[in-house]
Amino acid sequence: MASFANALRVLNEMKESRVVEDYAVAGAMALVFWTEPVPTFDLDVLVFLPREEGPVLSLAPIYEWAARRGFPSKAEHVMIEGVPVQFLPAHDELADEAIERAATMEYEGVAVRVVRPEYLAALYLEPGARSRKRRERAAALRESAATDVEALDRLLRRFGLEA
Amino acid sequence: MAGCPRARARPSAALLESLRRGKDQLRRERERMTLREKVGMVLDLQRVCLPLLARQRRLAPWERPWSTEP
Repeated sequence: MASFANALRVLNEMKESRVVEDYAVAGAMALVFWTEPVPTFDLDVLVFLPREEGPVLSLAPIYEWAARRGFPSKAEHVMIEGVPVQFLPAHDELADEAIERAATMEYEGVAVRVVRPEYLAALYLEPGARSRKRRERAAALRESAATDVEALDRLLRRFGLEA
Repeated sequence: MAGCPRARARPSAALLESLRRGKDQLRRERERMTLREKVGMVLDLQRVCLPLLARQRRLAPWERPWSTEP
């Protein structure tokens, strides 16, 4: 039977195989590591792709690697161990830092990189992606004991974001 | 007397505060669950939420309960 831990193992294999330079679990499944679980249907993974020549960034190498491993892709998700995984290339400097400063956590004996709660909240508050649900999740993170509220506020100021 | 509705009883501020504290307590208990328990809860939530979502809108291809174990 597929397991969530095995899906995380695959993420680490992708990094070891240089399919991605680095990664960090983001979105609702990252919340699971810091606060209470919320419903979600996919696993968001922020990634740095290996540097390519030219300005056009492509996820094709990820999908091709996954297909060779027997993980099919559909609608921009890769089905890994029964989990639809969406790979999100870092879209700005905040996302860059979220990956670079991700916490290494452990799930069932598997090391996994997870976006820290302060960065997770800040990403939820980015103007291009704000929705009521995302604002609520940012607010829940602010109340979580795992979040350093002062660090979060510094981050929001530095990136010009509003709580 | 008919036509003269009685004022509806309202919860006291103390009761509302107690209810809020109860909600906070449950939230803290969920936060303290093991990661495996939390992932198990996500899988349970998927099974509960998907039929409700499906009544509101067409589901995306990936919006299915994960065929995985915690």
